[in-house]
Amino acid sequence: MGWVEVKEPEIRGRDSAETSSPTLAIEVKGLSKRYGDSFAVRDLSFQVGPGEVVGFLGPNGAGKTTTMRMLTGFIPPTDGYARIAGADIFDDGLEARRAIGYLPEIPPLYPEMTPRSYIDFVARLKDVPRSKRKESVERALSRCGLQDVARREIRQLSKGYRQRVGLAQAIVHDPKVLVLDEPTVGLDPIQILEIRALISDLAATGGQTILLSTHILAEVEAICQRAILLNHGSKVLDQPLSEMVSSGASLEEVFTKVMTREDHETSEAGAGAVA
Amino acid sequence: MRHTGTIAMRELRSLFISPVAYIVLTLWSVIAGTFFLASLIGFQERLIQLKQFQMLQQIEQMNLNDNLIEPFIGSMWVILLFLLPAVTMGLVSTEKANGTDELLLTSPISIWEIVLGKFLAGAGFVTVMSLIIAFFPAILFAYGEPEVGKTLSGLLSLLLVSMTYVAVGVFASSLTRNQLIAFILTFVLLLILGMMLPFIVEISMAGSGMGRDSAISQVVNWMSTGSHVERMLKGLIDTADLAYFVLASAVFLVLSKTVIESARWR
Repeated sequence: MGWVEVKEPEIRGRDSAETSSPTLAIEVKGLSKRYGDSFAVRDLSFQVGPGEVVGFLGPNGAGKTTTMRMLTGFIPPTDGYARIAGADIFDDGLEARRAIGYLPEIPPLYPEMTPRSYIDFVARLKDVPRSKRKESVERALSRCGLQDVARREIRQLSKGYRQRVGLAQAIVHDPKVLVLDEPTVGLDPIQILEIRALISDLAATGGQTILLSTHILAEVEAICQRAILLNHGSKVLDQPLSEMVSSGASLEEVFTKVMTREDHETSEAGAGAVA
Repeated sequence: MRHTGTIAMRELRSLFISPVAYIVLTLWSVIAGTFFLASLIGFQERLIQLKQFQMLQQIEQMNLNDNLIEPFIGSMWVILLFLLPAVTMGLVSTEKANGTDELLLTSPISIWEIVLGKFLAGAGFVTVMSLIIAFFPAILFAYGEPEVGKTLSGLLSLLLVSMTYVAVGVFASSLTRNQLIAFILTFVLLLILGMMLPFIVEISMAGSGMGRDSAISQVVNWMSTGSHVERMLKGLIDTADLAYFVLASAVFLVLSKTVIESARWR
């Protein structure tokens, strides 16, 4: 199934990802966010090629949400830059935001609306052309399994369904890049599997680039090709899952090792500074 | 600017789903009906009185515009100060409370489109309120002969002042995520802007020896919506008064835009 409103054909392939930056889905360079004296994100750089599914890992407070909020233009970075599908999030904000579908940690829902009217509203905000709007809305609803509840008020829906409505609003304009902030948090095991299947399906059939954050390691193993590990606002590991597996260690081992080493180093550095 | 309409329509629909809109419209209609009836009865009694005492000159001066419509719209303007904050309190604050500000601010739309969309939704609502008020003088046209121009000028002043107050409401609502705080803030701002400014100046300058004609007191009187409403109620449509309403609305909308924008930097 083709997706509607693909303005230009996706340039896929390794060679294009390596050379010129505009073909990268996400390009982040030296990105920092400082609150007062402390850094929420510090000098973060990474690249994501078109069609990649990348897991953003790290403990709570590692800077995952802050990074995603900067990528989506919700908050401005203190330093550094980021480009979404070649568009700078700051200088070319409208273009960058048009290329992104974003599911925040708390799905941004209007409780008094129905899923259908809400998704239609989002489609208008995201500039889905009028001729394709109805089709796009219905497609997003059906992909997320919302047709049966499309006429109910969002406030009456279960948490799992609300999460799906959140996902539906992120994909309604068929964005090149999907940014999902903890899409499965707070759901029951069956709902988690459903949402994961949905995300995998989006990656497989839509060819979309997906950046999703989580602190569930199994989730990354289940849907991602690559993991980026954050701790204290800095990147501590960026590796394809296939390489991790081939090195013989499980993701959990790698994660634990990197995190403990990192914490050890920072506490040492802290002690050094005091002395 | 095409998103402005999208945001305004969504807001209006949500407003009319909520009970607040209906409570406000019901109260507004009931109070208007009561006031209108009271001023009508008062008008009649005064006329009878004057006739009894053969005061022909005063009877000559009695007319529906000055003695009924003008005080009626004038008192509804005061009621507006109390009811309007309930309409505008949620305009921006609920976006923050729902977390939907994150959707709006990460969509390919400008902050101006958000602010103007909110303003338009509120403006649409107060247009309905003004139309309800227009219904009452319309009754008088069936039984008497009020002046059309004067009546329309009075109604226009109510509509314009309502829209200016909506801009104030959007601003107050953008400052907080709490609807109750937004309500109180709007109410206080409207009270100051609407009627208290001249008093504040008079009191603070009481000992200074400066009179009512001093430059400061004139400027402050100009800033107050009250003086402009009163002139329009008397049937004077002056471009200076119209410019005041546009300017005051613009100031509060620019402030709203600044507040929403600066929230990103915190």
